[in-house]
Amino acid sequence: MGQTFAEKVLAQKAGLERTVAGQIVTVKPDRLLTHDNTSAIAATFYKIGVKRVADPTLSVIVLDHVVPAANETYAISHQATRAFVAEQGITAFYDIGEGICHQVFPEKGHVWPGAVIVGSDSHTPTAGAFGAFAAGIGRTEAAAVMATGEIWLRVPASIRVIVQGTLPPRVSAKDVILQLIGQLRADGADYCSVEFVGEAITAMSVSERMTLTNMSAEMGAKNAVVEPDEKTLAWLAGRVSQPFTPVFADADAVYARVLELDASALAPQIARPHTVDNVAPVTDVVGTRIDQVVLGTCTNGRLEDLRAAAELLRGKHIAPGVRLLVLPASREVLQAALAEGVIADLIAAGATLLNPGCGPCLGAHQGCMAPGEATLSTSNRNFKGRMGSKDAAIYLGSPATAAASALAGVITDPREL
Amino acid sequence: MRPTQITGRLWVLREAAGRLYNDIDTDMIFHNRYLHITEVTQMGPYALDNLKGWEDFARRARPGDLIMAGSNFGAGSSRQQAVDCFHALGIAAIIAESFGAIYKRNAINSGLPLVTFPGLTEVASRFESGDIVTVDFCTGALIRNGVERFQAQPFSKVQLEIYQAGNLFEYGKVVTG
Repeated sequence: MGQTFAEKVLAQKAGLERTVAGQIVTVKPDRLLTHDNTSAIAATFYKIGVKRVADPTLSVIVLDHVVPAANETYAISHQATRAFVAEQGITAFYDIGEGICHQVFPEKGHVWPGAVIVGSDSHTPTAGAFGAFAAGIGRTEAAAVMATGEIWLRVPASIRVIVQGTLPPRVSAKDVILQLIGQLRADGADYCSVEFVGEAITAMSVSERMTLTNMSAEMGAKNAVVEPDEKTLAWLAGRVSQPFTPVFADADAVYARVLELDASALAPQIARPHTVDNVAPVTDVVGTRIDQVVLGTCTNGRLEDLRAAAELLRGKHIAPGVRLLVLPASREVLQAALAEGVIADLIAAGATLLNPGCGPCLGAHQGCMAPGEATLSTSNRNFKGRMGSKDAAIYLGSPATAAASALAGVITDPREL
Repeated sequence: MRPTQITGRLWVLREAAGRLYNDIDTDMIFHNRYLHITEVTQMGPYALDNLKGWEDFARRARPGDLIMAGSNFGAGSSRQQAVDCFHALGIAAIIAESFGAIYKRNAINSGLPLVTFPGLTEVASRFESGDIVTVDFCTGALIRNGVERFQAQPFSKVQLEIYQAGNLFEYGKVVTG
């Protein structure tokens, strides 16, 4: 009997010949990703009575959640993180301005095919787009990983998602994953490893693959993975210095579920308030009034996403009364978008440019909503009250849908432009 | 050693329509506007304050109480506060049809007992807030008001060991000596 990706990669890490779903293994992860919550993790770490981290090269720390600090409380938290980094001799530290942890992490070469990554953020599975096992963990656990260098994991059961066909124009990876979450629901992949395969996945850029793995967290996935290919290796070239061996699922692996999706038949999708699995084709909500559009985040803040929006906005202007917030996912993305003229196009169209970071996505600063307002966002969560008022609405959609809607001031089907 | 069998007063988290609440996410449990709070003892008052109909839960709950909910309890973010706020209130265990993956690990590792009860949704009408429920973590046996028996999942080996040690850190001390 063959092994799934998760069974195989965790067997290798645990020094076992094979594992099966449900088995509990102890592994030494290759990297531990933490962000603004590092200060709280450090406090827990000290509370255990440990003085030094087990391995300073294990930690990758990115300040991204509330950057620059919105008030004194956040400033004190950032200060504590910087002090911890200096004290422990952690070299992979990225201060404010570098970008969102899930984007900076691969850009700086911390993920490679076959790696095992854990991170104290629920969107850690993003790194699975590079053929890695990447799972979100909590703060307590992150402190324990810092102290011991090890973690216990239950080998997840696996779901294979086969996406065939070719995506129509102005339909993207975001629409694929929204459709899938709508179908599987918020707990449809609970504690599962999701393997994305098929010609539509092969045709996707690395950025689009990251959108898929990023949002798999919204159906409960432990990790999500795309098989590495030439595109993956080309993207990682010059970033990853250490040797690696890609891990692939066996052809006769056993899956808890196999799903097939036809990309050719897909329409742009929207997640309606207040759950990510409340998904409908955009045609069901066309005409809904919006006050704000957010283009960016770890889901859709990459160069390809900004380009897709700029193509629709170039030479035009957003509707009166609509606020368009643009947040590139990282400094590298911002620089590339500046060099291409994409940022100039967006600003000329009326966009407000924010610094690379999580921005308004988690409602801490930079674009919170008042009661009665509505935002169309390219981010990954629309929980009630997530972006300010509990009485505000969040719709999730693709960059093309976001741009088309910003132009009209109401939710708009990007295929109609 | 902590007890493997506990008895407490039950809170059944239902929607206004009477259905057991499914997909209670981490923003409903501990809203992002309170994320700057990192001291566990200060988290109690905010537990469930963004869950419609349960905004006053923290004022009504007493140490030793049990919580019951539907599927995917704790969906969403990895925030530890969504677990720690129940520690702050002294909640003895959470019983649900299923739990969000990260939430489950957070709770297990911090020593908060989570009881997974497959099939709970079908028998949920038998439970009411105020019932006295006994649950055995080793066997998964669940008894309502001393008479009616149900079967939930027993703890896994590692879950039981971490719970008995107190939390992941104490467990680590036991394992590494």
